[in-house]
Amino acid sequence: MKLDQATYRLSDTNKLQTRALAAGVIALLISVVGFFVDTQQFFISYLVAYLFWVSVTLGAFFFVMLFHLTGTAWGVVLRRIIEAIMMTIPLMAILFIPVILGIHDLYHWSHADVVANDPILEKKAGYLNVTFFVIRSAVYFGLWYLIARKLYKTSLAMDENPTAEQVKTLRKVSAPGMIVFALTISFAAFDWLMSLDPHWYSTIFGLYYFSGALLGALGIILLVAMHLRSNNILVEEIKVDHYHDLAKFLFGFTIFWGYMAFSQYLLIWYANIPEETIFYHERWVGTWKILALMQVFGNFLIPFVGLMTRNMKRNLPYLKKMTIWILLMHYLDLFWVAVPNFHHKGIVFSWMDLTLFVGIGGLFMWLIWRTLAAHPVLSLNDPKLEESLHHEIP
Amino acid sequence: MSVTVKNNSITPVLEEPPLITGNQTFASITEKISSITETKPGKGWALGFSIAAFLALILFGSIGFLFWEGVGIWGLNNPVSWGWAIVNFVFWVGIGHAGTLISAILFIFRQRWRTSINRFAEAMTIFAVICALIFPGIHVGRVWVAYFMFPIPNQMEMWPNFRSPLLWDVFAVGTYFSVSLMFWYTGLIPDLATLRDRAKSMLRKRVFGILSLGWRGGNKQWKHYELAYLLLAGLSTPLVLSVHSVVSTDFATSVIPGWHTTIFPPYFVAGAIFSGFAMVLTLAIIARKIFGLEHIITINHFEKMNKIMLLTGMMVGYAYGMEFFIAWYSGNDYETFTFLNRAFGPYAWAYWTMITCNVFIPQLFWFKKIRRSIPAMFVITIFINIGMWFERFVIVVSSLSRDFLPSSWDYYAPTIFDISLLVGSFGLFFTLFLLFIRYLPMIAMSEVKGVMPQADPHYYEKHD
Repeated sequence: MKLDQATYRLSDTNKLQTRALAAGVIALLISVVGFFVDTQQFFISYLVAYLFWVSVTLGAFFFVMLFHLTGTAWGVVLRRIIEAIMMTIPLMAILFIPVILGIHDLYHWSHADVVANDPILEKKAGYLNVTFFVIRSAVYFGLWYLIARKLYKTSLAMDENPTAEQVKTLRKVSAPGMIVFALTISFAAFDWLMSLDPHWYSTIFGLYYFSGALLGALGIILLVAMHLRSNNILVEEIKVDHYHDLAKFLFGFTIFWGYMAFSQYLLIWYANIPEETIFYHERWVGTWKILALMQVFGNFLIPFVGLMTRNMKRNLPYLKKMTIWILLMHYLDLFWVAVPNFHHKGIVFSWMDLTLFVGIGGLFMWLIWRTLAAHPVLSLNDPKLEESLHHEIP
Repeated sequence: MSVTVKNNSITPVLEEPPLITGNQTFASITEKISSITETKPGKGWALGFSIAAFLALILFGSIGFLFWEGVGIWGLNNPVSWGWAIVNFVFWVGIGHAGTLISAILFIFRQRWRTSINRFAEAMTIFAVICALIFPGIHVGRVWVAYFMFPIPNQMEMWPNFRSPLLWDVFAVGTYFSVSLMFWYTGLIPDLATLRDRAKSMLRKRVFGILSLGWRGGNKQWKHYELAYLLLAGLSTPLVLSVHSVVSTDFATSVIPGWHTTIFPPYFVAGAIFSGFAMVLTLAIIARKIFGLEHIITINHFEKMNKIMLLTGMMVGYAYGMEFFIAWYSGNDYETFTFLNRAFGPYAWAYWTMITCNVFIPQLFWFKKIRRSIPAMFVITIFINIGMWFERFVIVVSSLSRDFLPSSWDYYAPTIFDISLLVGSFGLFFTLFLLFIRYLPMIAMSEVKGVMPQADPHYYEKHD
């Protein structure tokens, strides 16, 4: 991989793209075998992997809008990377199709006979039914794509011919975009994840998924930027100070995630209403207890302590390890929320968990590098680029 | 640097307006702000102070009567055992949050515009928390055993319930008060030294001399000061979230529909910041006008604050919506009933007041004209203050008044003493606030100077 110093375009990314695509396709093909061996397990593994990667996309989408709204200076050098992650939305829309195909294996509210014998599900049938589920998901993806495309196109247009109008457009799209985002990600979390147990409910659940999505996105942003750096690209542009700020975000949103998780846990534990407590009860059975404790120690305490000091945030090899750890924990968080609905006795890892994670992730990475290579990796004419390049943390 | 920015033609369009206007110098800032505390205040201040002090006397009078007669003088009834006292407590604690957000979180986010408003926002925090602390204190009924709220070793081996959110409140609000006070005082030290150096009378010299703790403004002192400030900002940041989260658990750990819902902690925090900003803005608009601070607290500061209110107002709206949706989605009859009852039951008037003031009216801030119109924002902030008080009223009263047993349902109405305590608490708040702006620098002079163009070490090279 090389960088053309004049145009700021990446070249020779083919090898990387091919590798990612090959890994993705091969892993998906292997998983297809699993589909015939154990169909339900295939869909469970698929859903968890999918929820992980789509959370990365959505988190990046959030950061792009956040940067436009707050008029960030330091984040400008990172924007192309974040935009490339955001632009995986169409891919994620296509990859949602298997979830719809597996709806009867995943969501038991989708069975008419189950609903008919369950008075509570009957009440919810107006919301939890297959048609409306599909329509809603289509609406989410449609809205996300429209907003993201507008943001990306405007940002690219700025490279050629920058005007103040574009900066205003970016803000004007991002403001309502945030509202749409807040509502859609919450309902997507209810639909895709919370309704796996259709009797259980929690008002904070949308925020819970959102807080995890931010960690996922930050993790992938960091890894992509570090990969560029390891190829000697943008070394002077994305400085340690930028990593330091990203790491601060990682630290801050780890606490934010912990806050959401703890709020939900504390209130449900304290009130001890059976129809709510069942959620944590199921996730404390057998070996699930290990993952439950992992949430406290692995997902919160280790990054909390491990990203506290300035040196930790500025030591890039160390930060990389911590980032990978946080991404792993984010995956296990989703796994721990989703899978106990199917495996009630304890943790059941399947080889498909791995192949589908790599499968979706391979396609995901392939698309990111493709998008990054198609345009300059810096938003060259952004009015705040200069300030961003000189960003320094005293 | 290898990148050359090709086109800078749009940079001027996006240039941020200067934070401080009117060609101020360091000297003019010092003069402007210090002189307020050094000269005799105008008639407006005296009138305001007499009204506020009168209302504060009403508060103390009402408290006295409450101790004499007991909590029976309130409008509490059988299902509604928490009334205005708790509403007022949550309201005042919430007001305080803007100060901490401005001084700590905006500091950490490198928002330099905070320097013009942080001092009196922090002062407001402290006074609001004082007002808040009165209410649970007088709510215990037997006020002479109020010390039972603290885990004090005693010969009866009586301990408070450590699992009770009411005890967590004591710790959370106590911590909040002490850290806020420390943060505020630390920030004041350089300015107190300025007042000391300007003092003409012996008394002022002595008082400010003691208060400024020997500040000389040396390099080392600044270095230590800034480190302490950063650490206190770091300590205050989690407090912005934790205090109102703990307050929300007073309700949310129960099993009462409308109280028990998992979104309560972040929802309360957003509401607290929302109401706090509204209060800061109300006060800032008045103070700016009376003392002629237009060059230091500019319309750009107000616009930024209005944006924060628009944002937090929508967060609160999100929480209202989520509660409603999940109440239906839960399929739980009690949940559904509670929310329909809020919107269409006997307290529908309060519910719709809340929705109108908190969700609909702040939407006007989408328009730049309104964000920059002082009369408009003044009116809107008053609406938000009203709306946020009603939010707590709706939560506390509507859920209690119709509980699980229809035979015990009752309608809660306040008595004259509920009203006098609320009005009186505003009196206390304004009394303290007016004393503050009379005797202490209401704007952080040293910090404002730090964001002026002259603070740039290369400023004079360019301007020679």
